Amino acid sequence: MAITESVKSPVGNADRGTRKCSQAGRWLRQQATRERRLLGFAACFGILAGGLTVAQLVLAAWVISEAIASPAALGELMWPFVGLLALLGARVLATGGQELFAQRASQRLRQAIRGEVLTALETLGPVRAARYHSAELAQRWVEQVEALEGYFARFHVQMRLVVITPLVILAIVLSQDWLAAILLGLTAPLIPLFMALVGMGAESLNRDQFQAVSRLSRHFVDRVRAITTLRLFGLGDLATREVTLVADDYRKRSLRTLRLAFLSSAVLEFFASVSIAVVAIYIGFGLLGDIPIGPADELTLFSALVILLLAPEFFQPLRTLSQFYHDRASALAASETLMEILAAADTAPPRHADPVEKPAPRDAADSPTTDELLRLTEVCLSHPERGQVLGPLGLALMEGEVLVISGTSGAGKSTLLQVMAGFVAPDDGIRHIRARLRLAWMDQRPLLMQGSLADNLRITAPEASDADITLALERAGLKTVLAALPQGIDTPLGEGGRGLSGGQAQRLALARVFLSDAALVLLDEPTASLDAETERHLIAGFQWLSTQGRTLVIATHHPALIAMATSHLVLEEGQILPMAVTTATATRQQHEPTGDRA
Amino acid sequence: MMHPESDSVTLREALSRLAPWWRLHDRYRRRLILGVVLMMLTACSALGLLAVSGWFITASALTGASLAAGAAMTLDVYTPGSGIRLFAVARTVSRYLERLYNHDTILRLLASLRGTAFDALVTMDPARVAARRSSDWLNRLTADIDTLDALYLRLAAPPLMALGLIAVLVVLVAIWLPQTAVWLAGLLLLGWAWLTLGQARWGLNASRQRVTTLETLRSALMETLRGQAELEAYEALGSARQRLDEIESRLLKDQWRLAVIAAIGNGLASLVIGLSWLLLLAAAMQGISDERLTPAVMVMLPLAAMALSEGLAGLPAAFTQAGATLGAAERLNELSFATRPLEGRQTLASGAVRVQIQQVSWRYPGAWFEALHEVTLDIVPGTQLAICGASGSGKSTLAALLTGQTRLQSGSILLNDQPIEACSPEALSHAVGCLTQQVELLDASLADNLRLGARQASDAQVWQALEAVDLAEWARQLPQGLSTRVGEGGRQVSGGQARRLGLARLVLTDPGLLILDEPFSGLDARTTQRMAQRLEGWFKARTVIYLLHEHDLASPRPGTQSITRVHSLPVTSSVLAQKKL
Repeated sequence: MAITESVKSPVGNADRGTRKCSQAGRWLRQQATRERRLLGFAACFGILAGGLTVAQLVLAAWVISEAIASPAALGELMWPFVGLLALLGARVLATGGQELFAQRASQRLRQAIRGEVLTALETLGPVRAARYHSAELAQRWVEQVEALEGYFARFHVQMRLVVITPLVILAIVLSQDWLAAILLGLTAPLIPLFMALVGMGAESLNRDQFQAVSRLSRHFVDRVRAITTLRLFGLGDLATREVTLVADDYRKRSLRTLRLAFLSSAVLEFFASVSIAVVAIYIGFGLLGDIPIGPADELTLFSALVILLLAPEFFQPLRTLSQFYHDRASALAASETLMEILAAADTAPPRHADPVEKPAPRDAADSPTTDELLRLTEVCLSHPERGQVLGPLGLALMEGEVLVISGTSGAGKSTLLQVMAGFVAPDDGIRHIRARLRLAWMDQRPLLMQGSLADNLRITAPEASDADITLALERAGLKTVLAALPQGIDTPLGEGGRGLSGGQAQRLALARVFLSDAALVLLDEPTASLDAETERHLIAGFQWLSTQGRTLVIATHHPALIAMATSHLVLEEGQILPMAVTTATATRQQHEPTGDRA
Repeated sequence: MMHPESDSVTLREALSRLAPWWRLHDRYRRRLILGVVLMMLTACSALGLLAVSGWFITASALTGASLAAGAAMTLDVYTPGSGIRLFAVARTVSRYLERLYNHDTILRLLASLRGTAFDALVTMDPARVAARRSSDWLNRLTADIDTLDALYLRLAAPPLMALGLIAVLVVLVAIWLPQTAVWLAGLLLLGWAWLTLGQARWGLNASRQRVTTLETLRSALMETLRGQAELEAYEALGSARQRLDEIESRLLKDQWRLAVIAAIGNGLASLVIGLSWLLLLAAAMQGISDERLTPAVMVMLPLAAMALSEGLAGLPAAFTQAGATLGAAERLNELSFATRPLEGRQTLASGAVRVQIQQVSWRYPGAWFEALHEVTLDIVPGTQLAICGASGSGKSTLAALLTGQTRLQSGSILLNDQPIEACSPEALSHAVGCLTQQVELLDASLADNLRLGARQASDAQVWQALEAVDLAEWARQLPQGLSTRVGEGGRQVSGGQARRLGLARLVLTDPGLLILDEPFSGLDARTTQRMAQRLEGWFKARTVIYLLHEHDLASPRPGTQSITRVHSLPVTSSVLAQKKL
């Protein structure tokens, strides 16, 4: 069993990474403009909170210096003290306002982005979307969108605050002592510089980290899916060791990311601490009269306290920003994966179909026989790994027909059905379909969702009454099952249809076909791997559908289904072996030799 | 549609559910303690930096003023000066080290936790595994375990550090203002209790539910994606989307509630810090007016209190989300306590196996019907037996019981006259081979997949096995031959090919009892016939149980001509329906 192979997959080159990253950054900023108003409010509250903090500290410095200057007159400081309390309260409220406005904006943005990704998946359609693993798509749609939370709720607003509040503080310090302002100002530009340097490294590492997480998930899902096989071959222990190994690889990667990520905040801490220390020592010596140059001899206790108290606040917005830095990094990595889906939907060939031309009205007598539901002309489709899987082929489907498609496995039966249904646009060729034609679809893995039996039928037939549902289920051969269920059609199904056996699930899918009034019913190997009883119910069901005038297209090997055919196609390597037949007897006779000839 | 609302929990229940995970941290106790010490060091350095700076500039201002007035005064500037530098550097270094060290500890813990969790999964009863989908396990083992890092890094260490910082400040204040120190201690401890326990209690249910809703949202999307073909055909994507929107709006509601709770908590933290330094300022001003304090100390105390934000500011955000950690722990609890190790020791001789099944009944947990109902069978070695039954008649369950994957609920199974529970897991995996309905191929090379059960098999043997299932020609055509990766879940090969590969895998392991679950479904008659001919001799040397939907001894389908005996299983739902359950 290959253990390490799946762990080491090549990491994209750095160049491409950086470009992708700047694209992601642009995309994120662009998203943020959609909630400009709320984010603007949040920033205003943030600036207000910063202003109130500054005011509070300046007032505190004044109160302290007054108290030291005249300790006897404490009573006069009562009102300024009340002012301090009021400023504290106001600041707390302003900060709360900032948080909540930003959070609301973040929520609305995430909701909007989820909606767009969902639309993109719908645009891609069942075939192209299936090239991503469903668990991975779900992880992107749920977790990766959640990973954008901090970027919008914290980082984006803080980006604005980081400029404004320090400038206000610098101006105040400048008014007290220009040399101290220079000391603060000098260290400040160094910080973004260092942050940028460190941030660049952290970003590429963060991407690595995301890849590690997704490899970890892929490996893990794969092993969990195969858990029965692993156990049957007695490989449980080996697989456990393997999982630990991969988890440890993840730890090492994480640690590398963290070492750098923490370095960026350490640089900041260092400058913040050192400049507080430098300012404090400069002021101290200046007050002692030991610094003969500059404005130091004009320092008072008030100005000294103002500068000392404001110095940490000068760095606070940047420190906060650096705490939110990982929000940005995870948002960038997440948006790359989201953009991939959105871009795939943008570049996917459009799936709309051209309508079948109306039969010529002047020849009304001919129209029933030329009444086409669907026509494919010179259709081709290739698959990235398997090459050309279908075509070029053409076919016309008439109303009321039962078209059976057979051929060895891998001959392209399912693909042809998917093209007919419009689940995937052909690479080349044209699909014509009658306007407003309704479809029913059934394959070997019926849709089962958490909810009752009735819920599972109503998702495709919302207006069906309880009686309709019961009738459809009974006609699909679930009568005895229904009779044994105390809650009847309201019996809940577990996640993924727990409670139902495979054959029962297939009969449920048949009941769905019954409930729909679709004129065209597409069936992809509907009876494969089923028991005789279910098979009988399904075949009887299909026959009934055919007598109702519905048009059926069935990909199958089953003799009984082939016997129903009004025409029969045999596919080989994506091509039609032309042998359309019209009678059931002829079909059976034709069927066996195909195998020998191939 | 069901939305099982998770019932609310009390703080005490929450703590007891977290306890097993907290105990797992014991192995790393020394590292964890050192982590808290490093955190304390960082916070105390911040406190020291502000306090000494304040003291120093006030003292220098007063000395400077006296000097200017002509008084003779001296001030030791070197001790506070070097103190300031020391605290500045110590704060930076200890912070960096603390973060790196703590994260390393946590990731070590997590890597071993992951292994433990998968181990639990491997040894768990498959009925329980089957009850959950792989997406669930994935989430359990990555997200849930990752969430548990919050236990130490967000929930255990920071409040301890905050308590330490509070103690240092209170002691510092008590040196000059013992009475105020008592008030201060009261305020801070009350604040601490609210910011930790209070916030945790308040946000517990919303944050716990948030994780569950995320999970629901994920599985709902997966259901939608898997059923996308049907949904699109029936033009039902809209209602599926509505369902997703509805779950998402529940998520957003909880998130908003949590945002409000966290915002209030953050506000309270600022308030507690602000009130503390204002209290100290007021008391210190009183102190200089009655000359208990020097002006430098008066400035120092409120400044020291400002450093409280290092310890208190992060608490509300972490504790509001405590429920997420709890939820993760609860789900992992379910996993680890479900484990029952296999303990048999008997071996099985090679060659065809005798199988006796007596009065076996079985029901999946939560299933509507019994999967097996009082099945009895005696199979002599070398028999080619077909067990027939419609879907839902329990054939797959019988296979799971015979391979030792599932424990018996009632009745007994003897292999070569010894109870199946007495056989060692290794013996069973060697002697009993099973071709499951869905053949699982690992995301690995073709050769690795074929060698799963026979790791020493030579290339020649592998090719022989491929020859037997009529895939050698196909494999030779592949550009990378045996090294071709058979992608995720064997996606790049068709269903029929996967099944044949599964059979080739068994040919390499050479079991004495072979269970074939619908071995030829989805294969065309020609391939089936050819495979059956090539494998005929190999089948005859062992006991083979075919699980088929139906079998007619008089006119067997292709590939099943060698079957000599048929046993039929009824669908239990109809049996029980007749009995009126």
